[in-house]
Amino acid sequence: MKLSDRVQDGVVVLEPKGKIMGGPDASLLHDKLYDYIKQNKKKVVVDLAQVDWMNSTGLGILISGYTTLRNNDGMLKLANVTDKIQSLLTITKLISVFDAYDSVDDAISAFK
Amino acid sequence: MGKPIISGDSIIVPSSLEHLADVDLFIEGTLRGYGVGESLIADIAISVSELVNNAILHGNKASPEKTVSVRIGLADHKVRIAVADQGNGFNPDTIANPIDEANLLKEVGRGIFIVRSLMDSVDIEATSHGTTITITKAI
Repeated sequence: MKLSDRVQDGVVVLEPKGKIMGGPDASLLHDKLYDYIKQNKKKVVVDLAQVDWMNSTGLGILISGYTTLRNNDGMLKLANVTDKIQSLLTITKLISVFDAYDSVDDAISAFK
Repeated sequence: MGKPIISGDSIIVPSSLEHLADVDLFIEGTLRGYGVGESLIADIAISVSELVNNAILHGNKASPEKTVSVRIGLADHKVRIAVADQGNGFNPDTIANPIDEANLLKEVGRGIFIVRSLMDSVDIEATSHGTTITITKAI
């Protein structure tokens, strides 16, 4: 997995690319998320457009980010959820947990 | 730290999550050789990654002396994959239901549940010498 990140309109946008399956790749996303939390940046959008697939480790990272941000008056939102990931979120009932948007811009607008 | 050993239809990796990608490369490459479509490849790859994750972390406790073996085969339009560890076995009945409201926000514990959802069959054979989980999927 590769990861790029940026700040757009005061919102952190994380863009993982490839597969999120655990091991060293997955810790990239976890560590970047927590770097921003330490910087007190508490509005985060994870853009999943370029994620081929993820397993339960990837879901666990998203949950960890979601709960940590929520406990610190922040929020994590998802954008561009692919069919494959949507299916996993549905199977695991996490679809009811995450706010998901059709685009990064829509997700950012939802913070306003 | 040893290296992966590929022999025909199987790959053996040391108990380190660094080798998840090696297993994935082997499995996806083999499935493409079988002519499996990309969506099914993803479902099978997700399932294998779950099983190998569990085998390394829970079965072998990431012990460098232990390995995880993954064997793949195709028969009667069914892909069959067996993932074996060298741990002490486990009781699948002890796994909490990850879709119970109380467990929904737990960061772990969804692996086997996801595998059962994506695959046609999941057979768990746990002994004191290791656990072998065999999955099948029609293609």
